[in-house]
Amino acid sequence: MTDPVYATLLDLAAGALLVSAVLIVWMRGLTAIIRTLALQGAALAAIPVISGVRQGDSALIAVGVALLMLRAVILPWLLARAVGAEREGRRDAEASINATASLLIAGGLTVAALVVAQPLVALSPTAATNAAPAGIALILIAIFAMVIRRHAVGQAAGFLALDNGIAATALLLTAGVPLLVELGASLDILFAVLVFGVLTERLRRMFGDTDVSRLRELRD
Amino acid sequence: MTAVSVLAGVTQIGAVVVGSPLVVGLMRQIRAKSEGRCGAGILQPWRDLRKQLRKQQVTPLGTTLVFAAAPIVVAASALLIAAIAPLVAICSPLDSVADLFAVVGVLFIGTVALTLAGIDSGTSFGGMGSSREITIAALVEPTIMLSVFALSVPAGSANLGAIVSLTVRDPHSVVSLAGVMALVALVIVVIAETGRLPVDNPATHLELTMVHEAMVLEYAGPRLALVEWAAGMRLTVLLALLANLFVPWGVAGAQSGLAAVGIGLAAISIKVGALAALLAVAELFLAKVRLFRIPELLVGSFLLALLAVTAANFLAVQG
Amino acid sequence: MDVLIALAMVAPMVAAAVAGIGGWRRWTATLTVLSCVAVLGAGVALAILTHGSSRIAFGDVLRADALSATMLIVVGVVGTLASWASIGYIDHELAHGHTDDREARRYGALIPAFVAVMALAVSANNIGVIWVAVEATTVIAAFLVGHRRTSTALEASWKYAVICSVGIAVAFLGTVLLYFAALHAGASAEQALDLDVLASHAAHLDPAVVRLAGGLLLIGYGAKAGLVPFHGWLADAHSQAPAPVSALMSGVLLSVAFSVLLRLRPIVDDAVGPGFLRAGLLVVGLATVLLAALLLTVTADLKRMLAHSSMENMGLIAVAAAAGTRLAIAALLLHVLGHGVGKTVLFLAGGQLQAAHHSTTIDDITAVLSRSRLVGGSFAVGLLAIVGLPPFALFASELGIARSLANSGLAWALGVVLVLMAVAFAALVSKTARILLGEPAAGAPPIGVPSTVAAALVAGVVASAALGVTSGPMAGLFATAAAQFGAG
Repeated sequence: MTDPVYATLLDLAAGALLVSAVLIVWMRGLTAIIRTLALQGAALAAIPVISGVRQGDSALIAVGVALLMLRAVILPWLLARAVGAEREGRRDAEASINATASLLIAGGLTVAALVVAQPLVALSPTAATNAAPAGIALILIAIFAMVIRRHAVGQAAGFLALDNGIAATALLLTAGVPLLVELGASLDILFAVLVFGVLTERLRRMFGDTDVSRLRELRD
Repeated sequence: MTAVSVLAGVTQIGAVVVGSPLVVGLMRQIRAKSEGRCGAGILQPWRDLRKQLRKQQVTPLGTTLVFAAAPIVVAASALLIAAIAPLVAICSPLDSVADLFAVVGVLFIGTVALTLAGIDSGTSFGGMGSSREITIAALVEPTIMLSVFALSVPAGSANLGAIVSLTVRDPHSVVSLAGVMALVALVIVVIAETGRLPVDNPATHLELTMVHEAMVLEYAGPRLALVEWAAGMRLTVLLALLANLFVPWGVAGAQSGLAAVGIGLAAISIKVGALAALLAVAELFLAKVRLFRIPELLVGSFLLALLAVTAANFLAVQG
Repeated sequence: MDVLIALAMVAPMVAAAVAGIGGWRRWTATLTVLSCVAVLGAGVALAILTHGSSRIAFGDVLRADALSATMLIVVGVVGTLASWASIGYIDHELAHGHTDDREARRYGALIPAFVAVMALAVSANNIGVIWVAVEATTVIAAFLVGHRRTSTALEASWKYAVICSVGIAVAFLGTVLLYFAALHAGASAEQALDLDVLASHAAHLDPAVVRLAGGLLLIGYGAKAGLVPFHGWLADAHSQAPAPVSALMSGVLLSVAFSVLLRLRPIVDDAVGPGFLRAGLLVVGLATVLLAALLLTVTADLKRMLAHSSMENMGLIAVAAAAGTRLAIAALLLHVLGHGVGKTVLFLAGGQLQAAHHSTTIDDITAVLSRSRLVGGSFAVGLLAIVGLPPFALFASELGIARSLANSGLAWALGVVLVLMAVAFAALVSKTARILLGEPAAGAPPIGVPSTVAAALVAGVVASAALGVTSGPMAGLFATAAAQFGAG
């Protein structure tokens, strides 16, 4: 794999991450959002695979395949189960800001991420590090998505996107943190999503729906 | 300004003038066939133009020069773009003014002319269509500017010829993050500018859904023919420009002979035909988006264009 | 020595496994208490054995130094008290039908798991492992907070899960950036997350990247420690969780999260200079104290009041860490220990009040002192310990913090903090007076206290008093830790 091709493929993967982040903020249907999350997971898994093929490192490729299974299949499936338990009419992830404003804010956040990531790129100007700002932009946009969503599963989807962004940044900057930590981190994310799923189930049983703007009893 | 380049320029203009009704006819035919009808054939728009040219010119009372001149302005702007854009060859005689921002501006002149004509007719349909059209245009212009800017960053210049020749030499300037996002943004822009689904339905005459059709409702006879033709030329030129910005292979180079011009013509015809067919097929699956949701769609494309610009500036391709 | 470090983690894990399999029984719960005592013992033993040095064990994964010994002692003491009280608490709940066997089993397994993961977080040498442990506490605590199946408990556990997950994710990004900087400063890929390797390379780390990483780590771990801006979960989670769980969270979780910041501080300071984290901790700490003091004046709920007091103390600890001198760090550690024990007593007593009244609104609960000598008395002692009156430990620690602030040129911050603490003091005392004093109302329910909770309360009171009077043996430990993490 030649240098330009490698750089182009990495850029395309990073771009897919960014576009999927924008789509998650934009779209309203939960099933569509979860499908986008699956695509995002696939784009994320592509990054170590591309780097692994380039460096001939089979461990990286294995990490990529594992990530693909986890982020593109298992975790979206867990979320889809939570959505599937909802009644038909309630599968919309409403947001507290309208689509136009949230898209503009997402654009602003992307520019902010690019500015913030300048010292990183300056430290190590390789093709992979150049794409790291996309990961940071995904993180910021995912936090924003979590803040504006009013549906519990929508917030959980935002959390999953946040985690994809962090994993992408880690992989782009450093070809992954040591295996032990990566394993622990993945397990923790899995458990966190399970927690979200369980809590969503309980929310539904208790309140009848999963609109988190109903959770306003606790206050001073 | 060689003879070949002049020939290339004339060929470009001629092809657009002759071919644009065919493009419109192709799209309508694909839709008809998919819907299970025979369809009227690809040449039907030419027949319609011939019919309208023979009809009586009707001018509504109270309209001014604006109403009379608008079809000419729209057609002229479309022809001007056809002349300066590198469709058949990069070395057209007007290459020095072939600036992408200039093209955007000329396009906008055409849009504004038609909008003013709609208002000038004094009817409520005309005014309504004009206000809708200018709303869409106001949201589309920033997107065009940004995606054009994103495309011009790798080439270091907004000159169309420079961009296209850079892409021919080095595909990585468009097969990159910025290029892909600029492509998606430009596709949405082309759809919005030419009034196709899901932004505007070109076949409807219902008050709820008309945009372009409402503005030209008062036109009849030769002026209507000119307006329809100009709309077809805008569509053709925009599709051709889109094709050549991203898939320019086949374009005749700076120093080329007659054969290259012929190849360029064939290549652009095939590309435009393919894009038109693709657009027609896509339209089968889309419904018109409600007017208050169009800003959402356009803001999305604006964001993509913004991301394209930032990607082009910050994520420089190494090597 | 390695065995001791491992014991601190393995013992509670074993207890968790046993409780998970065996269900909620007297003997499994007692095993949990014994495992927490083991953690305490390991902490004490390590404190005696380390005296001045740090030691890495198990192939660079675990470490034992003065700070980890201190934190293990904190975890051990609070864990023992909380798990001891849990026995009575859960038995009471089972007897009154508020919970069932499955829930009790889950509770019994999660509490020692929580303690084990906390022990791992303070004993790990690798900041990645520390992160994994802290994230695991989020997952475990989310279930513990939602133990009572009421709608408010569910709301609290949802908010806790969401806010802490975002915070911990930000902390992970900071960890990754630190790793990135370390790789570029020459550390090897397998070791670049180890604290000792990071410390040795600290001077060569790229300042801009470390500044970014330090800010993210401050915000991320600050979220788990209840510092502004991710503090929103604290009051809700503490007020809705079962009393022993609130005690564990206030006494242990917040301080362990902060101890991670303490560990990272020297590395960030070496790379970007001491001014950056100092300013950050100062801003965050002062904002937290301000917010907590204001909330204390308006709150009408007993457990939320205690939660806001925890927030105020964490803010004070952050301000002390901003000062950064040896005296500040030593005082900080004493504060952590004293606060942990005192808050445990308060929460356990408060839990009994909640069980009696089925509500935690302050207006509903009056004249506790005349109705139950034990609960009222221990609540009073706990409060005196928390507000920093002599002879309790927090008096000495707050004095130490005040002196260190004055010495490091932060006298203005000291002034602000004193004013805010006075506000908080007034609010706490007035509300507690309303709870404890007065004539009992006619239909006031009796305040029953299960034996284990009573034992835990008494032990906690004794421990608070002991800490206040005889912090002598601990002083050496604190001084050693301070020498490692403080400057000047």
